[in-house]
Amino acid sequence: MLIIDALLQGLLIGLLFALVALGLTIIFGVMDIVNFAHGEFLMLGMYAVYWTNYFLNIDPLLALPVSAALGVILGLASYYLLISYLLRGPAIAQLFGTFGLMLFLQYLAMFLFSADYRMIERGFLVGKSISFGPFVFEATKLAAGVLSLISFAVVYYFLYKTKLGKALQATAINKEAATYMGIKTEKMNAIAWAIGGGTVGIAGGLLVNFYYAYPMVGILFVMIAFACVALGGFGSVKGVFFAGLLIGVLEMIFPVFGHLVGSDFLGPHFKFTVVYLAYFIIVVVRPQGLFGWKN
Amino acid sequence: MEKLKDAFDFSDFSRSERIGFIIFTIFLFIFPWLGVSSFAKTVMIQFMLFSLFGMGWNTIGGYGGQVELGKAQYVGIGAYTVALMMVWWKVPFWISMPIGVLIALGYSFIIGYPLFRLKGHYFAIATICTSLVLKDIFDNWALVGAAKGIELPIHDHPDFLYMQFKSDTYYYYFIMALFYIAIFYMNWFRKSKLGYQLRMIKDDEDAAESLGIDIRWCKIKAYSIASAFVAVGGGFMAVYNLYIDPASVMELSLSIKIALMAMLGGAASMWGPIIGAAFLVPLDRFLGSWLGGHKGLTGIDYMIYAMLIMIVSAYQPRGIWGIIEDLRKRGK
Amino acid sequence: MAFLDVENVVKDFGGLVANNDISFQIEKNEIVGLIGPNGAGKTTLFNCIVGYYKPDKGKIRFKGKDITGFKPFQTSREGIGRTFQIMKVTTGLTVHENVMVGAFLRTEKRAEADKEASEIIEFLGLSHIKDYHINELPIAIQRKVGLARALATKPELLMLDEVASGLNHKETEEMVELLKRLNVEKHITIFLIEHIMEMVMTVSGRVIVLDSGIKIAEGPPEDIVKNPEVIKAYLGERYAKGK
Repeated sequence: MLIIDALLQGLLIGLLFALVALGLTIIFGVMDIVNFAHGEFLMLGMYAVYWTNYFLNIDPLLALPVSAALGVILGLASYYLLISYLLRGPAIAQLFGTFGLMLFLQYLAMFLFSADYRMIERGFLVGKSISFGPFVFEATKLAAGVLSLISFAVVYYFLYKTKLGKALQATAINKEAATYMGIKTEKMNAIAWAIGGGTVGIAGGLLVNFYYAYPMVGILFVMIAFACVALGGFGSVKGVFFAGLLIGVLEMIFPVFGHLVGSDFLGPHFKFTVVYLAYFIIVVVRPQGLFGWKN
Repeated sequence: MEKLKDAFDFSDFSRSERIGFIIFTIFLFIFPWLGVSSFAKTVMIQFMLFSLFGMGWNTIGGYGGQVELGKAQYVGIGAYTVALMMVWWKVPFWISMPIGVLIALGYSFIIGYPLFRLKGHYFAIATICTSLVLKDIFDNWALVGAAKGIELPIHDHPDFLYMQFKSDTYYYYFIMALFYIAIFYMNWFRKSKLGYQLRMIKDDEDAAESLGIDIRWCKIKAYSIASAFVAVGGGFMAVYNLYIDPASVMELSLSIKIALMAMLGGAASMWGPIIGAAFLVPLDRFLGSWLGGHKGLTGIDYMIYAMLIMIVSAYQPRGIWGIIEDLRKRGK
Repeated sequence: MAFLDVENVVKDFGGLVANNDISFQIEKNEIVGLIGPNGAGKTTLFNCIVGYYKPDKGKIRFKGKDITGFKPFQTSREGIGRTFQIMKVTTGLTVHENVMVGAFLRTEKRAEADKEASEIIEFLGLSHIKDYHINELPIAIQRKVGLARALATKPELLMLDEVASGLNHKETEEMVELLKRLNVEKHITIFLIEHIMEMVMTVSGRVIVLDSGIKIAEGPPEDIVKNPEVIKAYLGERYAKGK
């Protein structure tokens, strides 16, 4: 019973993980760059909803557009002000550049909002729970899972069914060929960053309903996202969805498993250690990911 | 013999570099006697410590061109070995420090073997992961003090065996000795077979392989050298701070700082890591103490720091040393 | 015992058979050319010998030693040198340092590698550009640097990938002279993949022709140009029309 409960909880949080990782994998696919500041976009998305709720007393779920808009702006600003310059340099400079962005946003948040832990306290769903038979879910988590799924589906539809989305895919598969077809790489890059920022902004807005926002929260989730992206195969959108679910389940099952065998070493402290290890093992053993298509 | 000669031979540097190096050395020697504050001495110690870290990183990260972001785990291994052996069995520093280095070497081979199947981003993220795993374990492992960390027993009187002194000046000269050993080692390293092979690997892996270079093995060797360097620094941190915890010796931000200093100063150059540390350590410290202390200004120091990183990455990825070299070329 | 013995090599890329049951031998001190139209499987065969690919079937022996499935660095250590058609234009090492890295394969001492590199650079007439970086050099010189680098590993068999592509007529002639000199003076066996027919015909003592992954002909250049199979497969498109 405990296991099934953990499985369901894991799937729910996994949907959110998939949404967090979605932007990372799109950006990686389109331009082969790893955005270390992705977690900070998430963090700022969390704050956006938190403060909208705090000052304007708007329900956190209705404040989602604020975090989405902030995410898009952050993505575009990062691309035009930093990334487009980094692209001219070597890979190492790209990594450090986004690292710099990560640090900058972390301490900007520290400066603006202090290191305090903040979580939504007022909201329609906050504190409520919904039960299906023997299984009880926090309403906020359930909403986060459902809305993540919807957001993911919208982006998926955009990528695979619209002309612009297909152009983006073409760039991801073969930049040169896409250029010959008249697709502007620069524009596609910007779109990738806008989507990347927007989706992770929404994810942040959902997350703050049941998880604390603090300036350093990003690193934890960016590592989870890296694991998802690696597991799904770098650049794969379908892959990252299933990988998110898998990592979510792994993270929830692990402590339960530890509890069952009565071992402290398998306790909840290590649930993220498992994620790091998972990343390491996946990329070493199967670099193309479980569902990978792009090597 | 030839190795020793190479280590002390700076003849291929320009005259101004050599003169600068000598002046700098004299300055370091007399610095503690200039009547400086203990804060300034601390900053200088930190500067030399981070130069040591940066020079170590430069083997694999600079010359080898691998984005290595997990050095903190080896600082941790060095520091914890010294601290634990002292607390548990009263082992003197001079024995525990080399043991720490050996453990770091062994561990780096075990980690390095799978790690260097990876390239590019995959590799960079994997190095972070390995370091975080070790930190998580130490954070929760009661035997080694978990997140609380360990305090080293303080002796009543100065003790050379355990590297305990009342005055910072002793630590200053000790880290200075390590700093110079590192410089001479790097001066040999950059001219060694491994040094050349690594630079080839950085330039063009396919070509390197066609010239009979076992790429993976070369990278593992360089990674282990870097790890050993960093573990020495970790051992020093334990006796100098007399207190260590996973947050201070194994944190991701430490790994990043090590790599950043070397890169900002100029990766794959002899002076780069030193310049980077000379620039960033004081900046970090002074910004921290001026701005960080003021209520409401927390974080500004790091924001300036991060801005610098972004600007250098975007405009001159070869770092400060790259800028100097460009200026020199233009001057000619 | 042949110097290089390729026996029934098969390389299959998931249904696309790039090399189908290819066998041939090269004797010491020969210069052998490998030609064929685009997609004939030349580069695949080359990569199987050098070690970038592992053949699915078959054996490759070098000086009697089975080197099937050896990695590129291992074949290099055995004495097989190679050049690249496209040199990566790098900014790190200078020409001299590039050649030194090659020389370090056979020595631990820097002084020796340094001396060896200088000699090879001198031999190839590259002394005037030894402190340049590869990105600063024209393509013909880049090729020679690649050659110098490979020579520094003291190869007994030198495998050259399209060493004349992108070179003008005069540069090609120079390259032919150079290869002949290497063959005669340094006793290096040469195996070259080439697209430019004239070059192969003038320099090679023997030519092997691939088409669609199969060896269709082998023999002295003067026979090859008359071989109807070859004319149909390869020469047909370029020579037969005009003649």
